[in-house]
Amino acid sequence: MKNGRFLAALVGVAGVVAYLMWTGVSESMVYYLTPTELLERVESDPSFRQVGVKVSGRVVEGSWERESGARPVHEFRVADLDDPGVAFAVRYEDMVPDTFNDRAEVVLEGRFGADGVFQAYSVLTKCGSRYEAAKEELAA
Amino acid sequence: MTVLGEIALWIALPVALWGTVLSFAGGRTGRGGLVLSGERSAYALTFLLVLASLGVVAAFLGNRYEYWYVANYSNRELGTYYKIAGLWAGQRGSLLFWTLLLSGFATIAVFRNRRRNREFMPYVSGTLLAVLSFLIVVLLFAGVNPFERLGFVPANGRGLNPQLQNYWMTIHPPTLYLGFTAFAVPFAFAVSALLSNRLDSRWIAVTRRWILLSWFFLTNGIVFGMRWAYEELGWGGYWFWDPVENASLLPWLTATAFLHSIQIQENRGMLKVWNMGLVAATFLLTIFATFLTRSGLIESVHSFAENLKIAYIFLGFMGAAAAFCVVLVIHRLPSLRSDNHIRSFLSRESAFLFNNLLLVGITFAVMWGTLHPLITEGFFGQKVNVGPPYYNRVNLPIGLALLCLMGIGPVIAWRKASTRNLRRNFAVPVGVALVVLGALAAVGVRHGMALATFAVAAFVMSTVVSEFWKGTAARARISGDGRLRALRFLVRRNRRRWGGYVVHAGVVILFTGIAGAAFDEAVVHELAPGESASVRSAFGHEYRLTYESLSHSRPRVRPDVQENDWRWTALLTVHRDGERLGVLRPERRFYPVMDEASTEVGIRSTAFEDLYVIPREVDLESGSERATFEFKVLPLVPWIWYGGMIVAAGTLIGLWPVGQPGRARTAAPGSRAPVGGRPVGAQSARVPERAA
Repeated sequence: MKNGRFLAALVGVAGVVAYLMWTGVSESMVYYLTPTELLERVESDPSFRQVGVKVSGRVVEGSWERESGARPVHEFRVADLDDPGVAFAVRYEDMVPDTFNDRAEVVLEGRFGADGVFQAYSVLTKCGSRYEAAKEELAA
Repeated sequence: MTVLGEIALWIALPVALWGTVLSFAGGRTGRGGLVLSGERSAYALTFLLVLASLGVVAAFLGNRYEYWYVANYSNRELGTYYKIAGLWAGQRGSLLFWTLLLSGFATIAVFRNRRRNREFMPYVSGTLLAVLSFLIVVLLFAGVNPFERLGFVPANGRGLNPQLQNYWMTIHPPTLYLGFTAFAVPFAFAVSALLSNRLDSRWIAVTRRWILLSWFFLTNGIVFGMRWAYEELGWGGYWFWDPVENASLLPWLTATAFLHSIQIQENRGMLKVWNMGLVAATFLLTIFATFLTRSGLIESVHSFAENLKIAYIFLGFMGAAAAFCVVLVIHRLPSLRSDNHIRSFLSRESAFLFNNLLLVGITFAVMWGTLHPLITEGFFGQKVNVGPPYYNRVNLPIGLALLCLMGIGPVIAWRKASTRNLRRNFAVPVGVALVVLGALAAVGVRHGMALATFAVAAFVMSTVVSEFWKGTAARARISGDGRLRALRFLVRRNRRRWGGYVVHAGVVILFTGIAGAAFDEAVVHELAPGESASVRSAFGHEYRLTYESLSHSRPRVRPDVQENDWRWTALLTVHRDGERLGVLRPERRFYPVMDEASTEVGIRSTAFEDLYVIPREVDLESGSERATFEFKVLPLVPWIWYGGMIVAAGTLIGLWPVGQPGRARTAAPGSRAPVGGRPVGAQSARVPERAA
């Protein structure tokens, strides 16, 4: 086989991989936003409510209410990490992670419902080895 | 001890830098004295880094909370094992640990090869010491010094994240790190081969065991990580396509490609530039894994805190190393020409080539997905993530194609396969695959991807079994020995080949286990004590679970500690098809110091499926002790762990010390006299030591 056929194989494989990647990206892409960005986008373009997004923020202390049972319901507010004044209401109908509490830093996936409440279909808390405190906290 | 460790870390920097300079100078001038000093710096460096690591461990064991790192990752309540594991629990310690392992491997490589591969050694130790210098600079100057003091002494530390308090914590990270760091040795030999223009297959023959060793640890590290996720994260999965998981997969993929493509270079003298590319890419990807985990640049559930300074330092290093390799390879292009061409698509070299292209394709796709938020933010100012459907979409078909090649590659002839060769080797396996496909379809399996995986798995498995069968039969006929003796002879004569088959068999079983996920069953029930619920598995078994009682305990790790975790343990009895299987004790735990809960799932494993019980919620307020459970039956999950063990066993067969060096390995038909397994050492041992 000459180099030409080798190149053809290379191009063929690259083409298949690129095709799979392209369709994969278009099927599963979600915007990754901060609460401030999300609220701005929704305000300037109401149809953006229908778009699935990923948002990271912090649960507002004292805002967490829940109904337990086989299908638990959690309602809480999530604020911007940098600007705690910007917040929105979230509703999540499944079990929250163990590390979830009302100060947790969370990543939500979902979209706004008609009632203006963000319907999350996944809630992740940031955790893992990410346990580093500021000096002041350690002194307390 | 801790102060001593800190001092040792500071001394390590000049030692590493000095050793780098001496080694490279020795390589250029050929002065043995310089080379010897360079090698001794590597030994001294390992000693210093052992002291530094012991310093960190001593700080953990001695509850020295005046150190920032100890205060953040330990507390008085933590068990001794986890205190020792504190060395790699957080960013700072794990970076030191990484450096320690790399330096340990550097010492072993230098010590073992200092005589028999003298001509490579100056640049090998120089390259390894250069990488080590870089890591030590990061440790000391990038704000991640594990010996940094707080300036005051907190009463207690913050403790270790409950999810890390699992025995896999003491096993999984070190295994993975061993794999990452061991790969620096083949990389150093490749750089040395390029610098000294010794570009035959020698450097590959010398480092083959290192490559396999690295692959062994990487594979096990990844499987251990899956196991950890499965037992600890409590949602019944083992792979999340999380950026940090991907980061560990990337070097594994390229290392796997490399393991295969070096065989083409050794047997057919082709793909020399490609192999240089793969060895450099794998090394850079191990650094990339460190970078991704440590920089926090990509959102991940297990990333460390964001540290942009480190991100830039690592990026700079990777860019410089990549540029260095590219320039070197271009400079040496004339010596890297192929000795041969691929003649036919129906040949072993072609199968290996496609294996490589597909593995590199997966690497690229996984990397693209992982970096997608950064890429889109860079180009469009907007982070866009891709999720598991992306990875499944790309990797399932390619993975299946790779699985096919796994059955074809080792069996098909080199150069050009004849129709007779094809019929003789593949008629039975293809037949077996079709029978399996038909049988599964007949019993009502309809999931396309799973059906395809099972059929291809049957195909590959039968090629492996028939190879063993034919080889053993031929040997038994010639020698007159029994089958078992013949098998032992066969494997010992060519560990690499037969070990490889065992690895393939393990991978097939592992893939089969993954495909089992298509048939998961799950139900959620809220139960009061005494009530029961049932779930039916894909294999048709009926599991009946009875929630017997809830108990409460506060185990104490140490008697002098008052505050510890609270545990609510549910007791469930399990019946399968009316027969009692035993009890499960899933737990909800609460850690008051960290103000955090954790779930301990209950797993009842049988040969073909796992019963997986997640205690989702326990009602403690009303006193009714009602609890919500999720019951899952996960078919074939145990096969993932069996497959992993078989892969490990196969790799060990390939790694096992050969015994008499210089034993000829069976050459592939028609290959040009290949460089043998080990005999290279024999000639160079004669080179007078320390020739100045």
